Amino acid sequence: MKPHTLRLTGSELFFKVAEELIDVAKKGDPGRFVERVVELYREISSTRPASMASLNLLRAVASRLLERGFEGLVEFIEGLVKEYDSALQRAAEIAARRVVSGEKIMTTSNSLAVRRFLKSLVELGKKVELYVAESRPGREGLYLAEYAESLGIPTTLFVDSAARFFIKEVDKVFIGAEAIAANGAVVSKIGAGLISLVSKEARKRVFVIAPTMKFSYETIHGELLKLPEGGSKLLVDVESGESLPEGFVARVPLYEVIPPEYVDGIATEYGLIAPQAIPILLRNIYGTYPISVKPFDALISELHERYGRGA
Amino acid sequence: MIPKSVEEIAVGIKTMKIRGAGKIARAAAEALKKAAEEYTGPHNLASFKKYMVEAGKLLVSTRPTAVSLPNAVVYVLRRLRDALTLEEGRDLVIKAADEFIKTSEEAVKRISEYGARRIKEGSVILTHCHSTAAVEVIARAYREGRVVKVYSTETRPFLQGRITFAHLRRYGVPVVQIPDSAVRYVMHEVDYVVVGADTVTSNGAVVNKIGTSQVALAAKEARVRVYVAAESYKFSPMTLIGELVKIEYRDPEEIAPREWLNKHPGIRVLNPVFDVTPPEYIDAIVTEYGVLPPQAAILILIDKLGWTIESIRHSENIYENLEKLVE
Repeated sequence: MKPHTLRLTGSELFFKVAEELIDVAKKGDPGRFVERVVELYREISSTRPASMASLNLLRAVASRLLERGFEGLVEFIEGLVKEYDSALQRAAEIAARRVVSGEKIMTTSNSLAVRRFLKSLVELGKKVELYVAESRPGREGLYLAEYAESLGIPTTLFVDSAARFFIKEVDKVFIGAEAIAANGAVVSKIGAGLISLVSKEARKRVFVIAPTMKFSYETIHGELLKLPEGGSKLLVDVESGESLPEGFVARVPLYEVIPPEYVDGIATEYGLIAPQAIPILLRNIYGTYPISVKPFDALISELHERYGRGA
Repeated sequence: MIPKSVEEIAVGIKTMKIRGAGKIARAAAEALKKAAEEYTGPHNLASFKKYMVEAGKLLVSTRPTAVSLPNAVVYVLRRLRDALTLEEGRDLVIKAADEFIKTSEEAVKRISEYGARRIKEGSVILTHCHSTAAVEVIARAYREGRVVKVYSTETRPFLQGRITFAHLRRYGVPVVQIPDSAVRYVMHEVDYVVVGADTVTSNGAVVNKIGTSQVALAAKEARVRVYVAAESYKFSPMTLIGELVKIEYRDPEEIAPREWLNKHPGIRVLNPVFDVTPPEYIDAIVTEYGVLPPQAAILILIDKLGWTIESIRHSENIYENLEKLVE
C-alpha cells in the first residue's frame, strides 16, 4: 500500500517550481513569465503557505526581474537551484557529523534533507539504525523507510502513536523543516512537534536540517506563518475501500510548529546553530538586521506595472 | 470438551471481534456461564471444577494483557470454592457471571455520572482510541449541555477512532476526527482529555492503547486535565507483587500489507498495542467507586476487588494457577 496522497516535500516543491520557472523563462515572453510567477505565488501561498523555500525562490526571482530585467533570468534561476542544492547537501552533511557510529535515530515523514542526511551517514561510514514514524495522513514514512532500506540502514517503522514508546530506544532525532520563523520556531510535518515534545521529555536531542532558504523573512515583522489543513478525504484509505462512519468529519493539519526550546540545533549550510541564533546568522549573511524584504503583493504590482497584466 | 459456544467467544476475543476491556470481561463472564450451562461431563463436582478451570484458562490465554479478562474469570471461578455439589457449583457460576455482567454494566453508568461532573461548561474534549467508559462520560456531559466539541483520534493502525466517531455521533455529540500525529496541534484548544484504560497498575500507571501516553504528555504540556475512565476490574492485582504488564506486539500487517512487508525485508515494522502513561500525567481516575488520584489505585485493589495482600502472596500467579482458586 502506497501513501495515497503523495505530497512533495518542501525541497522537492522548490525544485519543481524552479524547473517550471526555467521552462517558462526559456520561452522568452516576460509578460507570460510574470503571470506564471504570480500564479505560482498564489497557488503556493494557498496550498503550501509555509513552504518557505519555494516562496523565497519566487521572491528572489521577482526581485531580480525588477532590478535587472528579464535578461539572464534563466541563468539566475539555475544558479539559485544549484545554490539551494548545495546548501541542502551541506546542511545534511553537517547534521551527519553530529551522529556517532552505532547510534539510533528517529525521524518522521520523508524529508529530502533527511534523505540526504542518511546518505551522508552512509558515505561517512557511520553505522546507524533508523526509527521512522509512519507519518499520517500521507504515510510518507513508508517511503523514507524504503529509501533507508535501499541504503542498507536497518530500519524500524512504527505508527505515529508509538513515538513516545520508542523514543527511549533512540539516541537522537533528526527532522526536516518547511519553514523557520524569526524566533527560531520550526514549521515541520504534522507530528514533528509531538515527536520533539516526546524527545524533550526523554532527554533526547532534536536536530532540524534546513538550508537558510527556508527562513521566513516576513515573520521578522510579526507575520504569522499559515499552516494548511486538509479535510476528511486525507484520512480515507482508498485502496482498502474503507467505509466511513456516517457524517464523517475530520480535521487534518498537515504541518505543525516546533517551539525553539524543543530544538537543540538547526543544521544549515552555514553550520549548526541554536534556533534562537537564526537572526544572528542572517545578520552576518546579509550584513544587516532586520533584513528588509518587500511584501510579495508590492512586488506583484511593480511587476504588473512594468510588464503589464500579461496577454 | 469445551463447548463450541465458549470457543466461539474465545476466538472472538482473540481476533478482536470482541474488543474493549469491558466487553472482553463481560464476554468472558458470559462464556463461563455458557460453559456451566452446557456442561455434559461426568456428574461430579471435581470434574466440573476441572472443566471450568480449563474454560477459564482458555479465556485468559486469548489476550495476555487484558487484565479485565482474568479479573472477570477470577471473580466468577472463585465462587466455586463454596460449592458442595455439581448443581450448586453450576448455579454459583451462573449467578456470579450474571452478577459480574450486571455490575460491570452499571459501573460504566456510575463512571459516566462521576466523570461528567468533572467537565465544565463549554468544554472541548479530546479522546483517544475507543473506550465505552470514556464515550459515556463525554456523552453524558454533552447531554447535560457542557460539551461543545470532541476531538477523536483515528488511532492507527486499527482505526478504533472510527468506532468512537460513530458512537459519539449516535449520541449527537459534535465530533471531529484527527490523525494521531495531530494531538499536540489541537491540544491548545482542548479543555479535557478523557480516555479509557486497558489496565491500571498498583502504582497508578495506566496501560492503554498505544499513543495514550503521548496524548497525556501533550495535555500536560498544554495544562489540559487528563481523566481516565476505568472500571475497577481493570486494576491489575498482579502488579502489586511486582509483575510487569506485558506489552503485546501485534501483527505488522495491521500497519502495512503483507506484500509490502515481503518486498522490504530490511524494514522491521513494530506494532506495540499499548503504552504506559505515568501517574503524574493523570489528574484522576474515574471508577464506579468514585474519582480518585491514580496513586490511590491500591485502594481499589484491596478494598473493592477483594484481593488481600495475603491472597496475592500465596498464589504467585493466580491466572496460571486457577486450580488453586476453586479449591
